[in-house]
Parts: sequence; structure tokens; C-alpha cells
Amino acid sequence: MTKGYLHSSRKILLILLTWSSLFVLSGCWDRVEINDLAIVLAVGIDKIEDDQIELTVQLAIPSQMGGGKQQGSGSGGQGNKPTITKKASGTTIAEAASILQQRVPRRIFWGHNEVIVFGKELAGSGIREYVDFFAHHPEPRLRSFIFVSEEKASTVLEVIPNIEQSSSQFARELARFQIGLKVTLKDLLKNISGESRAVALPRLEYEFDNLNEKKGGLNINGTAVFKGDKIEGYLSDKLTRGLLWVRNEVHLATVSFVPENEERYMAFKLLRSNTQLHPEIKDGKWKMTISITTEDDVIENQTNMVLTDPKVVAELEKQLAGEIDERIELTLKKVQTEMQADVLGFAKAFAQKYPDEWDQVKGNWEEKFTEVEIEVTSKAYIRRLGMSTKPQGIPEKELNEE
Amino acid sequence: MVKRPRKLISSKQTTKSIKEGEIKRDKDVLSVDLDKNIEHIQALYTNASDVISRSFYIAGKQKAVLFYIDGLVDIQELNDNVLGPLMEEDSFDYSDVKELLEKKITVSGIKEITNISDCVKKISSGNPVILLEGSRSGLVLNHVKFEKRSIEEPAAENVVRGPREGFVEAIGINWTMLRRRIKSPKLKRKEMDIGKYSETEVILAYLEGVADENLIKEAENRLKRIDIDGVLDSGIIEELIEDYPYSPFPQILTTERPDVATSHLLEGRFVILVDGSPFVLIAPVTVYSFLQASEDYYNRFIISTLIRWLRYIFLLISLLLPSIYVAVITFHAEMVPTPLLIGMAASREAIPFPALIEALLMEITFEALREAGLRLPKQVGSAVSIVGALVIGEAAVMAGIVSAPMVIVVALTGIASFTIPRYSGAVAIRMLRFPMILLAGTLGLLGIMLGLITIIIHLATIRSFGVPYLSPMAPLQGSETKDILVRAPWWKLNTRPRLTGKYNKYRQAPGQKPGPKHGGE
Repeated sequence: MTKGYLHSSRKILLILLTWSSLFVLSGCWDRVEINDLAIVLAVGIDKIEDDQIELTVQLAIPSQMGGGKQQGSGSGGQGNKPTITKKASGTTIAEAASILQQRVPRRIFWGHNEVIVFGKELAGSGIREYVDFFAHHPEPRLRSFIFVSEEKASTVLEVIPNIEQSSSQFARELARFQIGLKVTLKDLLKNISGESRAVALPRLEYEFDNLNEKKGGLNINGTAVFKGDKIEGYLSDKLTRGLLWVRNEVHLATVSFVPENEERYMAFKLLRSNTQLHPEIKDGKWKMTISITTEDDVIENQTNMVLTDPKVVAELEKQLAGEIDERIELTLKKVQTEMQADVLGFAKAFAQKYPDEWDQVKGNWEEKFTEVEIEVTSKAYIRRLGMSTKPQGIPEKELNEE
Repeated sequence: MVKRPRKLISSKQTTKSIKEGEIKRDKDVLSVDLDKNIEHIQALYTNASDVISRSFYIAGKQKAVLFYIDGLVDIQELNDNVLGPLMEEDSFDYSDVKELLEKKITVSGIKEITNISDCVKKISSGNPVILLEGSRSGLVLNHVKFEKRSIEEPAAENVVRGPREGFVEAIGINWTMLRRRIKSPKLKRKEMDIGKYSETEVILAYLEGVADENLIKEAENRLKRIDIDGVLDSGIIEELIEDYPYSPFPQILTTERPDVATSHLLEGRFVILVDGSPFVLIAPVTVYSFLQASEDYYNRFIISTLIRWLRYIFLLISLLLPSIYVAVITFHAEMVPTPLLIGMAASREAIPFPALIEALLMEITFEALREAGLRLPKQVGSAVSIVGALVIGEAAVMAGIVSAPMVIVVALTGIASFTIPRYSGAVAIRMLRFPMILLAGTLGLLGIMLGLITIIIHLATIRSFGVPYLSPMAPLQGSETKDILVRAPWWKLNTRPRLTGKYNKYRQAPGQKPGPKHGGE
């Protein structure tokens, strides 16, 4: 035996010992098997009295939800629900959650929570205190969607949807379409402390097909506008569309109107749209120019116009732009004069371009916001006419060919 | 580094055997007295009745003796071309052995030897030896003939396109396969016999003017250092000349394919052929050599590049998939998309074991199945695979012992490990999978990173005959990646790999890219 040989074998022994202690020392302290997790899919928060809130969580029942069918062959009948809702109340969300944990045999896991619903009453008295939990806790996702319930948040979670597996999935998919507003936890946290001090959240409605079985569906209906963290008022569906245009969040939009000198409607589907805010301060007058460029397809033509003529199309483009302008102005009027809540993102635009002037009005932006002069300039382009250029079902001779 | 005793064993026991078996220096020279020589050789071969000595008279006058081993000699040839002409000769008149050799024996392979140890060596390796009365030298005839396997397609390195012949056990045939591929006299060989008892013939082959002389010298020295009783396969040589014997990664490439050996010779590496083994050794190599199949160079380069990347990806899968699965479902449940997580949770509902145990259980079972399939007689092999597939795939899931996703993970990992073309490389990855699973089960993704970093540091540390194991990626040599990240087309592979081929940089003439306008006006 020589020295070198001993040396290297000793070294290896040492390395092995060090490594093996690693396994013992770490102790797997946060190891949880996935079948020991109660996966939270949605959270609802309602105010019950004074300080007390009621926390409702929707938990997934994995064996009912899909996958691994062979295990549940005996119990996997039709009547079993894929989710379960549990409630607990307390002064803080954390307190309510720990009370909830006493009643759930698996560890409550927030990492897959995708939907947070605030009840109507809570929204009226302020949501800030209750957003904090989700920002503090390491598990909840910043990408979960925020809604305000039409009534109690717990009812929304109890809905057993007829088309998706859970109401959280239902709400999430609706938000993703962006027909209504889409607000994530991250957006909310940013806006609630941002320059404008105003937040817009989508409003979630429910409708029951069968009240006993709680079967039904959800519906994003309009927007709840918050000033600070308290609700100020609601925007209807139509006004919400205007809001989306201004915020450059429009993705799926159908505009239908009656063209001039026609009796019936034409419908356009949005291809893409871009909105730009141009703030301007001139001689102490604050002005905001909203310029919108949209590209659209013709998807329905009830009139007897023939669209092959470029002149007709140009005329339609002008009218379409006017139509969009009109919608936006309706929204602006409501938001600016009635609610006086800047959910349009004006504050940020001004603060970025005119930081010095902004510093002066920061304290009373609410007031200043109402004085801002707004100009909307839309431009619309009709890109595609669809599969038929002529209206269908009308004899050739009656067509309106100019 | 470490000085090791020259002799394998130097105890009292062996001095006796040396006295019996070895020939002392002064007695080694062949004597003029034929009887003395015969006696000497026969004494060495006592109790070895396969060595036959045949006395005869050349032309009825000159006494001679022929030694050969029964079964290693082509008797027919010996009778027709040696014994026949010599014994029939009636007017024998010779001055020395050389004349006899030149005039009478109609055999092409013939050599003169002058000492007894050479005689013994030649007789033992099957060459008939003729000794003559009154001469200090004997004649070695090249009439070796023994039963050997015919050249077949290599079992472990199949190709769809490319040469189908593989090395066999006989070193002579193996050498001819190399010689047939490199006809240039620059192909050189250094011969040596390794093994005190086996005296196995080992050939160190290289291409003069391409391979580094110092490298060849180093390889020769390392081979000469070996003092062992027998060499049964090239694997024994491999373990005795490696740079880092404790590493799980092989630093010497083995191949059964003469075309692979040739291609490495052309890149300035050396090849070690060992008698009795169809596997030749190639060094110095890098980790990428284990991920390259010979077919990469015969198929179209675009396809080969894609296949190479497929192998790189599946190498990672083979190493990491079970550990990532374990880490994610025990520590990082938030990383999995919700529907997938719920699906996995559902399939784990009734599983009694933690994911770590489940993974180890399945992986070990799979390794056992593979090992059993390898060792079992071919007729039983299919039974094992059926039992394996049914028991592990179906029944275990049905019985709720393992979850279905785990079966998928293990199966995918198994397939992935087969995409590594070199068996010795695949084994290393297979082995490292287990510590990785343990790390993942105790420390989560952090553990996986820790394990990966350790492996990469280790890979960056080791060298194969002076060539960094990760080169040319670390240290990075941009132009060398043409044969690593992609398989550049042949008309772009103008230079040899720098670290082994820098002594003869250019492999071919530049500008050979073909096209409709090239070649012929």
C-alpha cells in the first residue's frame, strides 16, 4: 500500500460522509406529497359583521376531477362533485384559513389558486386589507384573476357549472377571453397603490339553472369601479367595452351599427387594435388625446350594399371609426364626470410625460382628472370582406350598386 | 505520481515457479546440440501433451525436429509444404539455415529465431518451429490455424447505413480490418505482450504524422506499466490505463466497429487492439464521443444534426426526468399546471409510498429487469419482458402500489437511456440517476441543481490522456463545435479536432462544397 492510494480512498470516504449528512440534515421539512394537499382553486371573501370576514375556499377533489380513473371505479358515479367549498370566518384571512385547516384533513395549498372573488359588501367597505394576505403569503399566484361578486362571493364558488369542471375554471376562462375586464392580482396590487388610486375590477354574476343542485353558470357582467379601495359604482357591459378600448385591452370585439342611408345592420369583427394615450399640457390646460387604430373584418351584412367598391368600404371605415368614438365617449362621460375615478390610466400617462406638473397635482388628481379635456381620434381599416362580397338572399337586380 | 512496485507479486511462493517456468538468461540461447534443445523445450512443456514434437531427417541425413501444438496448426499445409519437400530431398547439401529456408521450404511466412524463450513463445501461439542439428537458429513457420468466429455485424453498435463488419476475437483479423481501411504505410503499430501467463498480444495502432508522438509514448508507457497475470478482454487494459479510475464516466472509448476505430485514427487518436477481445480501445476521447454514432457521419448532415440534438435532450431526460418528477411533486406542486397536478394527485390518491420511495422502487425494478433480460438465456428472454411489462406496467398500477404517471416516467427514462449510442456512457448516466433521485427527494430542485453542478464540475475536472473531457465546449473552441453542436457537412469538416489533430491540421482540401457549377465545365 502506498500513501497516495490511501489518500484518495480516504478522500472519497470523506466526500460520501459529507454527502450523506446532507440527506439527514435537510430533513425534508417542507416535503408534502401531492395527495396530501388540499388544492385551493378559488377563494371568496365576504364581510359578515364589523371586523369579521367569511373565507370560502373551493377545493379540488382530485379523484373526481379526472385522471387515475381506476382508483375511483367504485365511487366514481355521476352524482359526485369534482369540487367542494368550505367556509370559515375570522378577523383576518389567515385566521379564517387556520380555522379552515382544522376541518380539512389535507394541507391547504394556495399555489394553484386562480380566482379571488370579493363579495359585494366587502367591496363597499374596502378591499385593501384583504389583498395583503395574497401578496404576503408565498404560495398564491400573482397571476390569479380578481373579480367582484354581484352578491356574496361564496355563492359564486358554490355554483356547479354545467360546462366546466369547477366555477373557478369557468371564471378563469371567461377572464382569459378578455370580453370583459381581465385583472390579475399583480395588476390590482399595482393599481391600488398607483398614481390614479382607482381600480376597475370585473363583476361576476351567477345564474342558476337548478337551484337545488346549485347547477348553473357564471357571467362577467360589467365592471366595478373602485376609488381608493372602495367601490364607487358599476359600468354596464356596453360601457365596459369603451373602457377596454381606452385601456388598449380589447381583443375580441364585435361592432354592429346601421350604416348611413341603410335600414339594416352591418357587423364588424375586430382583427387588431391599438390605443395610444397622448397627454399634453398647454398653458396650464391638461389635455388627453386618445388615438385608436383598429383593423376589422366584415362578418355580417344585413344591408344590400355591395362591398367590392372601394368607395363604399372607405365610407364604412369612416362610419365605423365614428361608431367606436361614440362608444368611448359614453364611457368617458360616465367615468370622468359621474364617478370621477381614473381607471383609464391617464394618471400614469401624465406622470410619465410631465413629472414636475404631476407632482403638483398629485394630491388632488381626482379633481384635476375631471377637468382634463379629452379628444378621441379613431381610425378604422376594413381589411377583409369575408367569403361573400355581396349580401346573400337578394336578387341581383335589387342590389344597391352605386 | 505514485511509485508502484514493478512486479505484481514478489512473495516467496513465486520465486519457485520462476525457477520452474522461466529460462535463465545464459541458457536461453539455442544450443548446437539438438538433443539438448529438445530436452530443454520438452522440460518446459511437461504435462502439456498438446505440444507435439516430431523428429525427422532432412533428406534422410540431417536430424531435425518439428514442434507444434495440436489444433493450432494447419496440418495439411505443414505436410505438403514443409515435411514433404524436406524429407523427400535426397541430395541435401546446405551451409546454413538461411539457405535451407530460401531454397526448400515453400512457405511464405518464415522467420529465424535464435533463443529458446522465443521458441516457446512461438510454439505457444501456434506457430510450428523447426530446430536443426548443428544449428544455433530455428525456423518459425507461419502456419497458425485455429477455429474462430467469422466476421459478423457488431451486436452492440447497429447501423442502418454504414459498414456492417465488426471486430472479432482474433487480433490478426482485427488488424487486417484496420489495414484494409488505411493502406498508407503511415499506419503504424507497436506490439507488446501483456499478462504474465496469458501473454496476450496487444497492438497500439496510430497514424504517424497525425497522432502526437508524446501521446503515443505516454500510451506505450502506460501499457508497459501493466503487470498482471492475464488479460481476458480489453476492459482490463482500459481500467489499468485510465486517468481517473474513480470517475463513473469512461475516459476511453470502446468500439466493435473497424470504421469507428479508423475514423479516430484519422483524427490523431490511438487504438489499442487486444487479442481475444472484439472491443478495441480508443483514446483520448471527450464526453461527446459517447453521444456520437458512426452513422452520424454516413447519413445526411441535416438529419444527423437533428438526431444528435435528440440524443442530447434524451440524455438529460435519462439523467433527470425521475428526479425532476419527484422534486416537483414533493416540493414544488405550484410548478405543475393545475389540471396536470390534479390528474397526478388523483392517480397518487391510493399510493402508500412517498414519491421518492416509489421512484426508487420502480427504477430499481426496471434496472433489475434489464439486467435479467441481458443475462438470461435467449429463449427465456421474452418471458421476462412479458412478466416485466405485465407486472410492472399493469398490475402494479392496478394494485395501487405505484401510480400511472410514475410508470410513464420510468418507461420514458428507460427508453431515453437507450438513445445513448455507447453502452459505457449510458451505464454512467444510468448509475448517476439514483443519487439524483435521492437528492431530489430530499432537497427538491435545489438538490437537482446541486447534483448537476457536481457532475459538471467533475466532468470539467477529468481528462482523457491530457485532453479535457468537456472540450471543445469547455474550454470553448468555437470552430470545433462544428462536430458537437451540429454535424457539419463533410465539405466543411476541413480540420481535424484541434486537441488531438493539431500536428496535422488539415483533413482535406478546402472549398469542396458541391453544386451544379462545380466539377466539369
